[in-house]
Amino acid sequence: MDATADLLAAALRIATPLLFAALGGILSERAGVFAVGLEGMMLTGAFAAVIGTHALGHAGLGLLASVGGGALLAAVVAVATVRCGADQMVTGLGVNILALGLTSFLLRGLFGRGEAPTIRVTPLSSVSVPVLGDLPGVGPLLFQQPALTYVGLVLVVLMFVVLQRTGAGLTLRAVGENPAAVFASGADPIRVRFLAVIGAGALAGVGGAVLSLQQVGTFTDGMTNGRGYLALAAIIVGRWSPGGALVGCLLFGAADALQLRIQGLRLPFSSYVIQMLPYIVSLAVLGGLGRGARLPAAIGIPFLRKP
Amino acid sequence: MRPILAVALALALTALLIVAAGKNPFLAYAALGHGAFGSWDRIGAGLNKATPYVLTGLGVALCFRARVINIGGEGQIALGGLAATWTALTFPQAPPVVLPVLALAAGALAGAGWAAVAAAIRLHRGVHEVLVTLLLNFVGVLIVSEALQGSLGEPGAGFPQSPLLPRSSWLPRVLSGSDLHAGILLALVLVVVAHALLWRMPFGFRLRVLGASAPAAVYAGISPARVLFRVMVLAGALAGLAGAVEVLGVHYRLIDGFSHGFGFNAVAIALLGALNPLTVLPAGLFFGFLETGALAMQRAVGVPTPLVAVIQGLTMIFILSAMGLSGRRSKV
Repeated sequence: MDATADLLAAALRIATPLLFAALGGILSERAGVFAVGLEGMMLTGAFAAVIGTHALGHAGLGLLASVGGGALLAAVVAVATVRCGADQMVTGLGVNILALGLTSFLLRGLFGRGEAPTIRVTPLSSVSVPVLGDLPGVGPLLFQQPALTYVGLVLVVLMFVVLQRTGAGLTLRAVGENPAAVFASGADPIRVRFLAVIGAGALAGVGGAVLSLQQVGTFTDGMTNGRGYLALAAIIVGRWSPGGALVGCLLFGAADALQLRIQGLRLPFSSYVIQMLPYIVSLAVLGGLGRGARLPAAIGIPFLRKP
Repeated sequence: MRPILAVALALALTALLIVAAGKNPFLAYAALGHGAFGSWDRIGAGLNKATPYVLTGLGVALCFRARVINIGGEGQIALGGLAATWTALTFPQAPPVVLPVLALAAGALAGAGWAAVAAAIRLHRGVHEVLVTLLLNFVGVLIVSEALQGSLGEPGAGFPQSPLLPRSSWLPRVLSGSDLHAGILLALVLVVVAHALLWRMPFGFRLRVLGASAPAAVYAGISPARVLFRVMVLAGALAGLAGAVEVLGVHYRLIDGFSHGFGFNAVAIALLGALNPLTVLPAGLFFGFLETGALAMQRAVGVPTPLVAVIQGLTMIFILSAMGLSGRRSKV
């Protein structure tokens, strides 16, 4: 029981940064823009959170900075892909390279006089849920999490409601399926996509902040280390729905937590095989179980008004 | 013209960053240039750096020509290096000239095989090749880690790496006073071969027709599936070769994570080279010299090396935006 609760808690912890990025990615991809840049947006958010907290002296302001940082990088994606019609996937790769270079450079250039400094910030503290947090066994592990973890879980519900039950959500999804129809109905698909991509950046930025501010307490070069791509995989596994992405993130979190725990056991393969699972499961979902896994119809196709 | 403009714009923007960091951008770029071209040793280092970029970039360019967005270079390079290492360690008694050739061939074969897996999933399951190749990258890199953890690893080494490869498998040096190895010659030959393939042979014609218009290709009796499979396997072979060259010419052993960033840089290089084999060469050289020069720049004027990634990322974004604008729809 204790071991299971411990594993679940670890899974939830690992899943939280992924979840924010995945929710952002859903926003962008449901509007028809591939979110390959999540990795860079997370990294920028992680950087901005630590620098913001360090410079402004408050973790709340650092969190705000992570939203701004992620959104700023997303704005670059939005201008290139939505305004100019650049290839979405390859532009995503481009901003990921840019973000990796920019954060590492600024860390050294602005704060370290050429060397990479270690900027320590106090991680965000945990919040105990009343009553549940006092449950014996599972209580402390599952219901005494840092505040952003709860925010992430609430956002899953919120995102579902907004996408499925509001007019704005309907418009966003329509833009991802048939932007010309939305244009004909009087809305502006370019504006919708622009906002969706920037929203994705803001959310992915918070995902980065969870990592740097809530879990590690500092920023290191390339600290997201592929988590943005993992979030992309979680979106696929979750079939572009917020609840599904949550399941995907938790699944990947559990696989990662499990892999750390079986390293002591004598198995015929090393932990790397388990690390492969998220990617193989994603491929299986995309391919073998492909019937339900349908991408938004207009994803990847730039919408450009005729001049 | 467009690539040069993109590079100039990227350099100008990064100059602002250098100013923000309190340094003189002119001194920084001068130090970068000196670090890249200051001596035969530096030139050799830059050429070595550029070799895997050019090889992988060629494959990406051919794929993108056919509008096959293969971004699987990373995993294909990793497995190419793995296969070359395995070959060199398994047949150490093979004659000196035969062994490197055998190991290079094994690398190309492994890269091609990994690309074939991606192409098969693409064709039989209808999953977009970007997603397949992206996901398989991670699996490929982890397979190398797994192999280094197991039978290929060097016992007692503090780092996941293979034992040193037998001397007879090393690529020969070709420029005295530098570490420049024969890989660059291979890259030069393949640039010419890729050029001939793209512009002078039926397969290249089919590639270009498919890239220009899939319906037209089908109407002309070209099988898009067959072209996609072949061009992906070809690109995989080139990437695998790049991995083998990196192992046999630079490290002389397989090191965990040796392929990190190569695959995505190759995409940037293919775009910078305007998807044309003859111009992929200078694009790859530019990236190679940028990276070796940046180390000298950091030492001389204290401008940190990650600046290179900023230049690379910005160049990529500018070119993609210009391509999107000029086509009014994405060409890639």
